[in-house]
Amino acid sequence: MGVIRSHGIEMAVPAGCEARIFRRPPVAGAATYPVVHLATFPLPGDVGDFGNGAVQVMGGNDVFVVLFEYGPESVGQALFARQGMPRALAPSDFQPYRLRQGVGGRSGTQWFFVEAGRPFSLYAVLGSHARRATLVPRLNGLLAGIAVQPAPPATLGGGWN
Amino acid sequence: MVALMVVVVAAVALLGVLVTGLLRSHADILSALHALGAGVGDPSREPEAGSPLSTPARPVPVSFGPPLPAERSSTAPDLAGVTPGGDAVALAMGTGADTLLAFLSSGCTTCEGFWSALGSAHGSLLPADLRLVVVTKGPELESPPAVRALAKGAVEVVMSTSAWVDYEVPGSPFFALVDGTRAARIGEGFAGSLEQVLGLVAQARRDRVGGPGSGRAATPAGRGSPGPPAVTGLTGPERERDNDERLLAAGIGPGHPSLYPAKLGDVLAPTVPVAGASGEG
Repeated sequence: MGVIRSHGIEMAVPAGCEARIFRRPPVAGAATYPVVHLATFPLPGDVGDFGNGAVQVMGGNDVFVVLFEYGPESVGQALFARQGMPRALAPSDFQPYRLRQGVGGRSGTQWFFVEAGRPFSLYAVLGSHARRATLVPRLNGLLAGIAVQPAPPATLGGGWN
Repeated sequence: MVALMVVVVAAVALLGVLVTGLLRSHADILSALHALGAGVGDPSREPEAGSPLSTPARPVPVSFGPPLPAERSSTAPDLAGVTPGGDAVALAMGTGADTLLAFLSSGCTTCEGFWSALGSAHGSLLPADLRLVVVTKGPELESPPAVRALAKGAVEVVMSTSAWVDYEVPGSPFFALVDGTRAARIGEGFAGSLEQVLGLVAQARRDRVGGPGSGRAATPAGRGSPGPPAVTGLTGPERERDNDERLLAAGIGPGHPSLYPAKLGDVLAPTVPVAGASGEG
């Protein structure tokens, strides 16, 4: 197991899993914020923020996690009322219609919350909805290894991803 | 006048003694190196009888930098590090597809050719099913801006000192080919040209035990082996014995002149240099 950290996010990556913590270059002066990808399969080179390009190639026994940070102005809004990242998801939280892009046999879930004063969206995909009872505990194990530190004042600023 | 002549003669005599002493000291050092097995050239001349060096010579490894393990591991640990841009990345080695790890530095001259060659040739020369990852030392030992300028975003770059430790990288440019089905190294070694790297990949993949994805190459990386097919699946000591037997079968035993090359060209076969490379890194 390796530990990676960047942009105020630390993550324990189990053996055999792949992960990235990245921040896209600002476009047209708009601020960007960190994105986390965590997968039990090889991550392709160019994956969209919410997994486009990765969800399509994952296997039935794989899970994929996105942690997407929003601008600090989102804190306090109704959508981000939840405090703390959900770390004990249930199989019933996953539904095929919750996928951002429908892929046959898969299912997903999405949560909005504030962790360490930073607003995030957690988006998780199971490779097989039928195997959710087996895959969700594995996914929860991955979530347990993610730690978020408060954003340093210098990175606070306006703009959306 | 006479006094001046005496002084000059005395000075010349003193210098002669000093030069003689230096030459003698130099000869003693060379002789000692020969006796220790670290000399270059014909080792047949034995030390003089009665000298402290007349005891039987025993091989002493000559190494530069930290000593490497006697038998290198074949494991291929996952990579964890940062990108030159400051993002974090973790890559798994046992995910099915083979991975070619190129351990490069920003400062070595030979690496310069690889930075540009791998970036431009990745899509056309390397096998399509092979993932290429350039691994530099971490930001504490490498300059991220320098690495970023060299990488030009063309290849995946992971900055990780721990990867250099895990893979026992003795220097750069160094390459390791990982079998993605077993997370095991099936080939590794130094290379001075992209052609050597491509040869390493092709050779190691051919030498897999039982076909693709099932074993470890027995052929040293970067060196073609025109002889009989290599025996694969051997442990370290078994491989060493196998090498000895093959050398003996070829008439190369202890003391054979080919084991004592006089110059570097006797060891390295001529290769096509990478464009831009001008020396060893």
